[in-house]
Amino acid sequence: MPYHTFKCSECIPDRAMHAVIKGPGEDLTSCLPLGYLNTIPGTISERGCAFCGAKHVIGSPMKDVIHLSHGPVGCTYDTWHTKRYISDNDNFQLKYTAATDMKEKHVVFGAEKMLKQNIIDCFKAFPHIKRMSIYQTCASALIGDDINAVAKKVMDEMPDVDIFVCNAPGFGGPSQSGGHHKINIAWIDQKVGTFEPEIKSKYVINYVGDYNIQGDSEIMIDFFQRMGIQVLSSFTGNGSYDDLRGMHLAHLNVLECARSSEYICNELRKRYGIPRLDIDGFGFEPLSASLMKVAMFFGLEKEAQAIIDDETARWRPELNWYAKRLKGKKICLWPGGSKLWHWAHVIEEEMGVKVVSVYSKFGHQGDFEKGVARCSEGALAIDDPNELEGLEAMEMLQPDCVLTGVRPGEVSKKMRVPYLNIHAYDNGPYKGFEGWVRLARDLYNAIYSPIHQLSGLDISKDEIPTDKGFMTRQMISDVNIIGDGTTPIEERPYTGEWDIVTKLRGKKYPKLESQQQLGMV
Amino acid sequence: MSCELKQRERPGIINPIFTCQPCGAQYASIGIKDCIAIVHGGQGCVMFVRMLFAQHFKDSFELASSSLHEDGAVFGALNRVEEAVDVLLMRYPHVKVVPIITTCSTEVIGDDIDGLIRKLNKKLLKEKYADREVHLIPIHTPSFKGSMVTGYDVAVHDIVKAFAKKDKPNGKINLITGWVNPGDVTALKHLLSAMDIDATVLFEIESFDSPLMPDKSGFAHGSTTIEDLTGTADAMGTIALNKYEGAKAARYLESEFDVPAIIGPTPIGIRNTDTFLQNLKKMTGKPIPESLVRERGIAIDAITDLTHMFFADKRVAIYGNPDLVIGLAEFCLDMEMKPVLLLLGDDNNTYKGDPRIKAFQEKVDFDMEIVMNADLWELERRIKDKEIKLDLILGHSKGRWTAIDNNIPMVRVGFPTFDRAGLYRHPVVGYEGAIWLAEQMANTLFTDMEYKKDREWILNVW
Repeated sequence: MPYHTFKCSECIPDRAMHAVIKGPGEDLTSCLPLGYLNTIPGTISERGCAFCGAKHVIGSPMKDVIHLSHGPVGCTYDTWHTKRYISDNDNFQLKYTAATDMKEKHVVFGAEKMLKQNIIDCFKAFPHIKRMSIYQTCASALIGDDINAVAKKVMDEMPDVDIFVCNAPGFGGPSQSGGHHKINIAWIDQKVGTFEPEIKSKYVINYVGDYNIQGDSEIMIDFFQRMGIQVLSSFTGNGSYDDLRGMHLAHLNVLECARSSEYICNELRKRYGIPRLDIDGFGFEPLSASLMKVAMFFGLEKEAQAIIDDETARWRPELNWYAKRLKGKKICLWPGGSKLWHWAHVIEEEMGVKVVSVYSKFGHQGDFEKGVARCSEGALAIDDPNELEGLEAMEMLQPDCVLTGVRPGEVSKKMRVPYLNIHAYDNGPYKGFEGWVRLARDLYNAIYSPIHQLSGLDISKDEIPTDKGFMTRQMISDVNIIGDGTTPIEERPYTGEWDIVTKLRGKKYPKLESQQQLGMV
Repeated sequence: MSCELKQRERPGIINPIFTCQPCGAQYASIGIKDCIAIVHGGQGCVMFVRMLFAQHFKDSFELASSSLHEDGAVFGALNRVEEAVDVLLMRYPHVKVVPIITTCSTEVIGDDIDGLIRKLNKKLLKEKYADREVHLIPIHTPSFKGSMVTGYDVAVHDIVKAFAKKDKPNGKINLITGWVNPGDVTALKHLLSAMDIDATVLFEIESFDSPLMPDKSGFAHGSTTIEDLTGTADAMGTIALNKYEGAKAARYLESEFDVPAIIGPTPIGIRNTDTFLQNLKKMTGKPIPESLVRERGIAIDAITDLTHMFFADKRVAIYGNPDLVIGLAEFCLDMEMKPVLLLLGDDNNTYKGDPRIKAFQEKVDFDMEIVMNADLWELERRIKDKEIKLDLILGHSKGRWTAIDNNIPMVRVGFPTFDRAGLYRHPVVGYEGAIWLAEQMANTLFTDMEYKKDREWILNVW
C-alpha cells in the first residue's frame, strides 16, 4: 500500500488516503492521493476560501478594473497586498481595492441600495476606469443580495461602464479551487462575446492561466508576439477587461495553469469551437516544446525555432552553472496547485535537484495524477497538507530548500530549511528561459546562503571555527566541483538585469506590424 | 484655525485601514500560551490572517479553522466546530485554551457556539479528555460590526472573563497593553522593572520576536499563562494603556472584582510616558527611580536636537489604530509638528467623546481634520485634490502606495508594517519609543530631502 500515514495524523482516519509515497515500479493508478475533498476541520490546513480563489487569484490581476467586494471589510483587506501580480498600467490593481463595508443594519435590512451607491462612488473616485468586478462574499451570499440586478441597473444608468459579477462566497467549495471554477464560468457566461477587439494578425491566441507574477505573462506574451502571433487577451495576468470580453475571437487557447482556468478553455471550445492547447512556460525543454506546439498550430515553426535557439544559446550556460551546483540537492515542492506538476520533473531534469515531496492545497486528483507521474521514486505527495504534517515531512525528508508561500516558508525557516517564495517569487519572473535561470539562481542563493551554515551552530556546545571572517556561496557550493577542466569556459552565473520586464513594455514587434501593413489580416 | 471631526461620507471603502473583528480576536489569542483558536467560518478568515501575521512578524502562528463549506452554510455548521475541537485536541496535546471565534457567516447563520461549548464541556471534554485541562471560550466577533480593533477589545475581555478568579491579593498590577509589538512589551517591562513593579502583562508577546535556533526550537508563540489570566482578579489594579484595545477587560475586572482601573494614556511620547509612570506610582506607591530620570533625559536630549530645527511646522497625516493615532498626534504636537489629518478607521461612535479628541478640537492652533470611519482614500483624495499638503505620513504598510505615488516621505508605524524590516522589534512606547519615533521621522525626512534634492545641503553640517 503506497499510502503514507503521518504519525501526527494517525488519530484522524479521514486523512489516511491523502498522502502517498511513490514506491519502486509503483503504478500511478494505485498511488494517487485523494484530492479536493472537504477539509477536516481543526487540522490547521493551509487552504484558503473560494472567495479568494475567485477574487484574489483570478479576478484581481485584471488591470483596468475596479475590484469591489460586497461584504464586510475583512475579505477585501485580507486579500490585498498578498501577491505580486504586476501590470503595465502602473499596477492599478495592486494599489486599489474596494469594499462595500457591510454592517449589521445591512445584514438585517439588505445592502443592495448601499451597493449601488458604492459602485457609483468607486467610478467617481477613478474616472479613468470604466470597468468593475464585484465579488460576492459569505455575508452577501447569506443575506441573498441580488448583485447582478444592481450591476445591471447601474449599467443601464451609466452606459459607459461595464460591470462583471462573480458570485463565489468563501464557503463555496473545499478550497480556493471552488472560486477558480465559479469565476471562469461567470466570465464566459457574462462577458465573453460582448466586445470585439481589433484582430491584427492571422494568428490569434488567448493566453490563459497565468497571473503575471513578477511579469511571467509579459515574458511569455513577448515570445508569442516575436513569432507574429497576436495575443488577444491574457486571462488574467496584466489582462485587460475588454480584451477578455473578446476571447471568443481567438483561434487557439494557450493554457498554462490548467487547475485554475481550464474551465474557461473547455467552455470556449464547447461554445465557440476554439481548441485548447496546454503548455508549460517553466523550464527550457518544456518551454521549447510549448513554443513549438503553438507554432505548429499556425505553421510558424521556423519563427519558434529561431527564438528557442537564440534563447537557449544565451541562457543555457548560465542554467548549467547553477545546475552543476544544485545537483543532488533535495527540495520540497509545496505550491498551491499547478506548479506541483509544472515543476516536478523539469526542475529535477534541468537543475539536478531532487523533488522529495510535492503537495497541493487545492489541487484535484488530476493534478496529483500529473504530479505523481512526473515525480521520481520515493517522492511524498500530500493533498491538503496541514501544519503538523509539513513539520513531520521536513523532519523525515531533510530537504535543502522548501518551495512554498510566505507563511509556511516561515515555518521551514525555523526548521533551518531556507524557503523560496513560489507564490509571489523571490526575484522573478520565473517563466521564460531567462526566468528559469533566475529561479535556479534564487534556489542556489537560498541553499548556499552562508547564514544557513551559521544557523546550525550551537556556540555553547559545538566546536566553532575561528579561522574565517566570511564565507561566500561559492566557497560552500564549489567544494565538490574540483577544477578538473570539465566546466566549459562559457558557463557562468546569471548575467541579466534586475528588472527584465519593464523593457518589454512598448517594444516593437516587426512580425506583427508587417502583417498589418501588408494587409495580410 | 479649527479642528474638524467628521465621518467618511461615502458608504463604501476604498483601501481599508482596518480588517474585520475576527482578526483582532485572533491577534489576542496568539498571545496566550498553549492556545490555538478555532475560527468558525470560511477558511480564508484564518488563512489570510495567518498570512498577515506572518508578513508583519516574519514568523508563523497557529490558528485553526472550522472550514465552513456549503453544507454548513445551509444546514448550520456546529458539527464542524465539534469536530475541529476534537481534532485539534487530539493532535496538539499541549493545548489548553481554545477560543472559538465567530465570523460574519457563522453569526448570520446563527450557530450557537455558547450552547455547543456547554455541550462539549459536558460530553467530549468529560468523556474523552477527562485528564486534560481544556478551556473553550466563545468569542463573538461578527465581521459586520466594529473592526479588528473592537475584535481585539472584545477578545481580551472575553478571555479575561473566562479565567479571572478571586483568590488572595497577589501584589501585582495588570498591564493591558493593547495591540502592540514585541518591542513595545520589552520597553514597557523595562519601565516596570525600573520601578520594581511586578505585573501581569496582557499579553506577553515578546516571544513573537523569536530566534532561529540550532535545535529548531525557535517557534514564535505567546507566553501569557492560564495562571496569569486567573490572577488578574487578584491584582492591586489594572492599567489599560489603550482606551479602545483592552479597556473593556479592565472595566470588567473593576466592576466584577473591585480591581481599580486606569485607562490610558497610550504612553507614546514624553508626556504620555510621564503620565504612565505617575499612574504606576499612584497605583503601587513605588517611587520613580533616578535611572528613569536619566533615561527620560536621554530621550529629551535626542528630541531637542530635532524639534525646532527640523520638525517645526511639518504637516503630518496619521492613520491606524485609534489610540496609536491619537498618541502619535499628541507626540507630534509636543515636537512642534502639525498633525493636520488623523484617520480613524472604524465606525466607533465613542471617538466623539474621547477627551483627547476634544482637546484637539479645543486647543489646536492650525487647521486639523479628524475623519472617523475613514479609509485610505480619505487621505489619497485630499492629496490628489490638493486639499492638503503633507510633509510626512505616519501609518502602516497598507498605505504605502499613497506615500510612494505622491512622493511623500512615510514612517511605517502600527500594524502591519510588512514592507519594512524588523519594525516589530522597536518600541513606539516609553522614552525608548519616543527616541525611536523621533529619529525615524528625522532620518526619513533627511533621506527624502536627499532623494528629492530639496535643500539636501542642510545636512552638510549638523
